Amino acid sequence: MIESIQHLFAGFGIAATAANLFYCLLGAVAGTLVGILPGLGPIAGIALLIPVTFGLNPTSAIIMLCGIYYGAMYGGSTTSILLNVPGETASVITCIDGYQMAQKGKAGPALAICAIGSFTAGTLAIIGMVFLAPPLAEAALAFGPPEYFSLMVCGFIVLSNVTGTSLLKSLMMATVGLIVGTVGLDPVTGDYRFTFGSVYLLSGIEFVAVAIGLFGIAEILSNVDQPLENLEQGVIIPRFRDLYPSLRDLKKSVGSILRGSGIGFGVGLVPGPAPVIATYASYMVEKKISKHPEDFGKGAIEGVAGPESANNAACQSAFIPLFVLGIPFAPPTAILLGALMIHGVAPGPMMISEHSDVFWGVIASMYIGNFILLLLNLPFVPFFANILRIPKKILLPLVILFCITGMYTVNNSINDIWLMLLFGALGFLMRKWAYEGAPLLLALVLGPKLEVAFRQSLMLSHGKFGIFVERPFSLVFLLTTLIFLCVPVVQFMIKTLGKRSA
Amino acid sequence: MKRDELIGCGIVFLFGGITAILSLQMPMGTFRMAGSGLFPFCLGILLMVLSLLYLLNLLFVKASSQQKPEITAPSPSATKQMLKFLGISVLAAAGLGILGYPLTSFLLMLLLLRILGIKRPVLLITLPLVTATASYLLFVQFLRIPLPKGLIGL
Repeated sequence: MIESIQHLFAGFGIAATAANLFYCLLGAVAGTLVGILPGLGPIAGIALLIPVTFGLNPTSAIIMLCGIYYGAMYGGSTTSILLNVPGETASVITCIDGYQMAQKGKAGPALAICAIGSFTAGTLAIIGMVFLAPPLAEAALAFGPPEYFSLMVCGFIVLSNVTGTSLLKSLMMATVGLIVGTVGLDPVTGDYRFTFGSVYLLSGIEFVAVAIGLFGIAEILSNVDQPLENLEQGVIIPRFRDLYPSLRDLKKSVGSILRGSGIGFGVGLVPGPAPVIATYASYMVEKKISKHPEDFGKGAIEGVAGPESANNAACQSAFIPLFVLGIPFAPPTAILLGALMIHGVAPGPMMISEHSDVFWGVIASMYIGNFILLLLNLPFVPFFANILRIPKKILLPLVILFCITGMYTVNNSINDIWLMLLFGALGFLMRKWAYEGAPLLLALVLGPKLEVAFRQSLMLSHGKFGIFVERPFSLVFLLTTLIFLCVPVVQFMIKTLGKRSA
Repeated sequence: MKRDELIGCGIVFLFGGITAILSLQMPMGTFRMAGSGLFPFCLGILLMVLSLLYLLNLLFVKASSQQKPEITAPSPSATKQMLKFLGISVLAAAGLGILGYPLTSFLLMLLLLRILGIKRPVLLITLPLVTATASYLLFVQFLRIPLPKGLIGL
């Protein structure tokens, strides 16, 4: 434990260098803008800005990309409160009470509580990370291919279960992602697969193109696919002097912030869109334990403080499975996994020992990043809010130009732009038919790892599938998978039987 | 609505089928030493099974017991606008290598703004000009990213 604290201090030494502070600030500002702008969320934002980090050392690059992630989460809350438009899905809950507060002239305190809650939650989550990550990494050293395979399958099933309207649809999308992930060279034998004689496809499908297409282009197309008059909305811009919450507001929020932090941290460790689940769970808890549940939905500050804290804590703790197991449980961390690999850092149980500068430097930078966001967002809220005044008619073409330029810069390839537009059109159709993009993207990134783990397991067992249930950790993961698969079936049966008996 | 769902499901089923068929042309190996085709073949079959299950769910489970996704009826003019928007973006990708980045970005902005209803000539020319110049300076001059030069050689 003491060793971890020493490492953390060393991490602060790395994160607090002038260069890393600059990249942290740059990431936080870019992230806030990404969260505010329509059509760009954390996934597309991180993917687009990966090329900007190419010239940087791995620590600075990851510090900047992480800054974009949590900055985007914060920016998303700003649009939720001021515009009633969630910048990303995790901010949907904030709209409920945040916008109501803004309409009552309390936009400033709502934004301030968001910043304070996020900062507190981020701080607590980092303390949790420091104590949890090293022992988890030690435990993960015992994991072999069967455990990794079962864990990834478990992750897909849990993610599919909690996203979208139908488990079957989400599973279908995860399978499509796995199939798309097989394009290129076979990771074991080196054979060509689904390349159709194209040199471009030999290196596989570029995940950045898929991410920007599914989450950026598709969002823009969905925005454009509505009448012109719907593209504009009113925005409430708070004055600087109205930004600070009263002592009463702060007192009301303390408990919510602490509870939200705890919920968020726990949820961030399990597979799925952690920030979304954490915000919903926190809101429900706050409403349930409140002495005035009737105030929720009408501008209760606890309804903003709890979910926003949970959102930030979940974002931070989601880095634990990414760094320690090398397995991202959500699309933004999947993109960060890709970025880490581009920079020659292989996340996994050995990351703490082999790349301790990156690991502890990034963790320390998260703390600094949260502090920067707190300092940045409170005084500059009116500035960020003014960005929302730019008409969407102008913003959307700008975003698409940025997507095309950013996509080209990844590999200097026009083929990547084609791929991005193709997945953009596909993502648009998927939205229309209510198919989720998150399982597809996660499966695309994890697909090659899953396949290697599957094939290595079978090699170890001489072709016997029993290996997946003979090893205790693997069995636990598979049993969890089974439970999550059975939940919708049981729910359906209870519903049907209930209707019949009625 | 149900027709759209059926079409979507059919496409996914077909995709699984094509994957499975194409995988058969690759070495399958054994479970002990899996060939390159085994994993995608299994995935293709799995996708077909899943889409078939969803299809059965759509056809035989009563509509009332399903959680309906929120799908709003698109307005024909908005869809046309979206298709034009996508079309212009595709054209920009096609023209990037020939026309070069500055000219393509100018034309892309100009046409997209026009599609989204910007009519004032001053705005229609100034905005694309400023955007193209600023992005060129940022990416090419400041970040030193080599973008296509095309005919104009910039």
